[in-house]
This record gives sequence, C-alpha cells and structure tokens, in this order.
Amino acid sequence: MELIIGGCFQGKLDFALRKYGADRCAVTEGALPDRERLDEAALKGRVIVIDRLNVWIRDRLLAGGDPEEELRTFLEDVPDAVVICDEIGNGIVPADRFEREYRERTGRILVDLAQKAGGVVRVICGIGQKIK
Amino acid sequence: MVTLIIGGSGSGKSDYAEEYAVSRSGGGKRYYIATMRAGDRESLDKIARHRKARSGKGFITVEQPVSVEKAAEKTERFAKNEKTALLECISNLTANEMFSGEKPEPAGRTADRIVWGIGRLCRDFGNTVIVTNNVFEDGNRYGAATEAYMKAMGDINRRLAAMADEVIEVTAGIPAVIKGRKRDADR
Repeated sequence: MELIIGGCFQGKLDFALRKYGADRCAVTEGALPDRERLDEAALKGRVIVIDRLNVWIRDRLLAGGDPEEELRTFLEDVPDAVVICDEIGNGIVPADRFEREYRERTGRILVDLAQKAGGVVRVICGIGQKIK
Repeated sequence: MVTLIIGGSGSGKSDYAEEYAVSRSGGGKRYYIATMRAGDRESLDKIARHRKARSGKGFITVEQPVSVEKAAEKTERFAKNEKTALLECISNLTANEMFSGEKPEPAGRTADRIVWGIGRLCRDFGNTVIVTNNVFEDGNRYGAATEAYMKAMGDINRRLAAMADEVIEVTAGIPAVIKGRKRDADR
C-alpha cells in the first residue's frame, strides 16, 4: 500500500495518475471500491486508487460505522491499494464535537496507514516529497 | 538542547515527542510538563489517553497550565544536564494564558510572557522538548478572539523555532527535521 497525503487541491490524485499511468488506475472518490469494481480491476490489471479517504471516513463516522476496522479489513483484501487522503488536522480545533472527532480519527488513521505503508508521499503545489 | 516539535491534530506528534525525549534524556530524569486543564469529559479522556501512552516511559508529571517558568521549582534538584523536560503543549498553554481573565489578553502580551517563561524553563533543564500545534492551515475565518489566539500561537512558534536547536515537523507519525542537524534517518 502507498499513502499519498497533503492539503486539498494540491495535485495528489494527479501525482498518483502520473506515477501509475492514468489508464492503469481504477479510481474511486470518497469511497472504497465494491466487490464488482475490485474484480473488474483485478481482471484488467488496474491499480486500485482510493481518492479522498477523509470523505469516506467522515461518511462512515456519520453513519455510525467503524472506519478503522473497515479499512483494516479492506486493506487485507487489497494490500496494493494506493490511498490518497487530505491533510485536515492543521487548523483550529473545531468547537463542534463531531468535527473534532473526525479530524482526530482521520489523523490517527493516517499515522497507522503510514506505519503500514510501503511508501508515503506528501504532495504540495503538485510536487510530491517521499517522506517514507 | 532545545527542540520544538510541531504537527496537526492526530499527527502523532505527542508519541514522537515522548520517544524523542526518552532518547535524548539517556539515563537522566524525565519530566512531563502538562498544560491541559481537566474540565469536561473529553479533556479528562484525553489526559487519560496521554497518561496511558506515557506510562512505562519514566516521566514524572508536573501540572502547569499557566506560568510554565514555575515548573522547574516542582522538580528535584539534580544537575541540569540530568534533567529533560517535555512541555505539552503550546496550544493549551496559550489558550490558558490568554483566556483566563475576564477579557482575552492582547496577543503580544501573551506571546511575550510564554516565550519568556519557556526561556527560563530551558535554563533549568539540559534538554527541553516543546510540543506545538499547527493551527494555521484550515483557511477558515474566525472571530477576533480566535484570530488573536492564532496570531499569538504563530508568534510564539516562530520565536521558539528561532530559539530551538532543532525543529521537527511530524506528519502521519513521520518526522522531518526542518531546522537543525540532519540525522542518519533523513540522509
């Protein structure tokens, strides 16, 4: 698994598409691919790219899900996925309890993914820096 | 040696700072200067989580929500070289100092007092490790009090970074040295 992080609109997805070739990537935005998409990607030899993981985390939290556990299970199944996530922790701690939890849990999920990842890239102004 | 460690929420900066302080301290005494005021359930949970993460790492906790310069008086009289302080964190300290009175204190005065207090603290410990927060990149507009707080934090961070021998930014648990000596891991 490779992790790509950085602020929003910094060119993270473009970075991944350049690296792996746009026509070789199967991209989902704010969602984990379902079984059907995974099978299709496997058949065509595509790289699974999950863009905006933070949006998926937020949706799962709002739905009362367990994003940490769901992601762990998913990555056991798809260990070569490229995971892209916005950096959302560099701001004033929100007054709203849910917003605080969303930021904190997203941050901790990223720490965990970074530990497991084969590589971590941080993108700013379209430029990727390999930090692991 | 003075080290400033910066990161966002959930960036893993605290865990990294603890490991860093332990490795710096060698066999010396380790003090954790805690600035969070216990209030609601959430802050109690957070304090409990941090305490659990620290347990077994040999830190003595000193509660110092304001006036950090006084923390040294609460520690034992060992030679300076044998004492390491981990101060966590500037965002709580700044909020406590700024918003303790009836009216928020002007940003400049809060910043001056905190930087002075930490300067004093650094004279009493052989190693001072300071944790601060990146609160500057969410692009939101806030009211005057919060913007004054952000201004104070920015000012404090810049002055502490100037004072520090080493400044490390933590992203997703991964450290990057942004000031100071490059270590083997970064070469």
